Amino acid sequence: MEKKAFIQNNYSLRLISGINPYFLSIFVIGLTTLLSSPLSNTESYHVVSFILLFIVSILATFMGIGPVLLAATLSALVWNFFFIPPNLTFHIDKTEDILMFGMFFIIALVNGVLTTKVRRQEQLAIEREERTNALFQLTKELSRASGLEEVLAVAIEGIKNHFRTESFFILQDGNNILHSTGRLQKEKKLTDTQSSVAEWVFTHSQKAGKFTATFPEVEYTFYPLSGTRLNAGVVAMKLEQLFSGDQKAFWDTFLTQISTALEREFLGELAQKTRFLVESDRLYKTLFNSISHELRIPVATIMGAADSLLTSTHPANVQSALFNEIFTASLRLNRLIGNLLNMSRLESGQISIRLDWYDMNDLVNKLAEDLKDELKPFSLVVSIPEDMPLVKIDYGLLEQVLYNLVFNATQYAPVASPIELSTHHENGVVVIRVKDQGPGFPQQAMGNVFKKFFRVDGSKTGGLGLGLSIVKGFVEAHKGTVTVENRKDGGSEFTIRIPTENPAIYNLQLENE
Amino acid sequence: MNGNETILVIDDELQIRRLLEITLSANGYKILQAPNGKDGLVDAATHHPSLIILDLGLPDIDGQEMLKKLREWFFKPIIVLSVRSLEEDIIKALDNGANDYLTKPFRSGELLARIRAAIRGSEEKKDSPVLEFGSLSIDMANHMARKNKEILKLTTTEFSLLCLLAKNQGRVLTHQYILKEVWGYGYLEQTQYLRVFVAQLRKKIEDNPSKPTLLITESGIGYRFGD
Repeated sequence: MEKKAFIQNNYSLRLISGINPYFLSIFVIGLTTLLSSPLSNTESYHVVSFILLFIVSILATFMGIGPVLLAATLSALVWNFFFIPPNLTFHIDKTEDILMFGMFFIIALVNGVLTTKVRRQEQLAIEREERTNALFQLTKELSRASGLEEVLAVAIEGIKNHFRTESFFILQDGNNILHSTGRLQKEKKLTDTQSSVAEWVFTHSQKAGKFTATFPEVEYTFYPLSGTRLNAGVVAMKLEQLFSGDQKAFWDTFLTQISTALEREFLGELAQKTRFLVESDRLYKTLFNSISHELRIPVATIMGAADSLLTSTHPANVQSALFNEIFTASLRLNRLIGNLLNMSRLESGQISIRLDWYDMNDLVNKLAEDLKDELKPFSLVVSIPEDMPLVKIDYGLLEQVLYNLVFNATQYAPVASPIELSTHHENGVVVIRVKDQGPGFPQQAMGNVFKKFFRVDGSKTGGLGLGLSIVKGFVEAHKGTVTVENRKDGGSEFTIRIPTENPAIYNLQLENE
Repeated sequence: MNGNETILVIDDELQIRRLLEITLSANGYKILQAPNGKDGLVDAATHHPSLIILDLGLPDIDGQEMLKKLREWFFKPIIVLSVRSLEEDIIKALDNGANDYLTKPFRSGELLARIRAAIRGSEEKKDSPVLEFGSLSIDMANHMARKNKEILKLTTTEFSLLCLLAKNQGRVLTHQYILKEVWGYGYLEQTQYLRVFVAQLRKKIEDNPSKPTLLITESGIGYRFGD
């Protein structure tokens, strides 16, 4: 029985597949002869030939060509020796018996050979069907897989199921460089020789390694994963022998499927990278334009005012107005730089949050102090409950958050309107609200309010569109959320929710000495 | 009245030194300038300034090292200037002996106020049993504090906290330092206590507890006793 490594042998013979089929042939023919022995020395010795033919046919349905030929020859000889008179000789008296013997031999052979052939055809058809199924299954799974990880998992599983061998993939890094450590599956470590064979296979797009002409001393066989536009990498397999014939064709198709799927993933990644580059280029331009604009204006003010003060004599009131302009411009510059620095801290992931217990009253007082000039035309309405517990936050970050929100409000709210800042504690969450009576946000802008460099169309100059994205970043560093909505009676309302621990000391009147 | 006060400015930025020279001279201080740590140490030793303004980002000696070196023999106030507003740096500087800090850019008015407070703090007789701050007086010998002549009901902890801050008027005390001094080493992490007691104390000694002028919060760093 020819062993096919990749097709599960589901013939009934599997039970006796351990026995040598030639011995089985001899045994069966011998047994038949023994059972037919009563017919020896009788006129019905012709019947025995039919019995033997029948047995050979049966054997042919499950045995290879060799044992069947043996059975046919053996049965012809046995029939001649034991049954055709004179018995126990190979001599045949009657001419018709010679004819009978000749025909028996030919029929036994033809019968045996044909049956085996038909069976082989059938078996091949089954194998072919199974391969087709396997390929279909693979194609389906590969097309369903998304991402390199999944494609690789499907491929490895497929190779394991259909080729009964372990395999691993070494992929390139997207820049046509094979990295034996990069995208290799985690548990595999390649030796230097293996890496260089993989490298060779990758650059030459040819198989190499065990059982091939190139580097046959390596214990793996490496196949290139060549797509139409790029090579994804190589696959290494531990084979017992090279694939041949149908199996080779099957493997080639299998490999092509996997290569194509990997190529698809690589090209997808590439497209994404390109999109990202275009996007970051756009961002860079926006940033560059707005920063140069935003920085130039205060610098121009400072230069102009200072120059005027240096070169001309002004009455005292004009002088002090110019000084004022310089001061205001420098504050604006400072705020811009602060926001840029905070943004770059956020972008580079360098925000390390330092949580400690703070009194919200402290934070709000400090904020009112810092923004006292900006808040002059407004009334800041603060509401903090008497029993507000301490909160565990990063003071610096939250101070910046509230600063940006309240500062924003002072930029857009109508003069003399109240800006409300309230905070309370509910179920382990600090809730902070900042409300103003400004114009609010246009409905279509709502989704973009916290995006960096986003500015509402037509909003007044004097900002980079960073303030609110910093708010979001800093709040999220606290594992909190910030939302915005327009108030029914006009203006916007920001709500911050930050989870906090319950303080050990809740009551301020704790100590009784 | 500032005629005798000499201030040493150690900063590698010429423009900052020039600006400080102009502002501080205009306010009657005598100014010495050092562009690096080495010169700064020499100037401090030879001229005995009343106060040092020290930039933390010097080209030759690390600012924190500089503080440690100065504090081996220089006991007058040091105000630290830093472009980085990172709390860790500031806390470290205060722990290394700085009296106060300002982050660049700063307002001249703010700097002058800090200088005045620091110099006054260093001149005040620390062993005098009674400290006066406007309407508040603290009698340390008798463990008593008065606001508008009325005796305040303070707990022992509140009183120790008040004394510690008042004795170090004008100086920024870090959370850790205060916790260590008032509560002891076992309480270094218990900032909650500190918050609660500061809030309590403010209600008793401040004219307007929501706009404190005596117990001033230094964002994320500590407290300072103002005036």
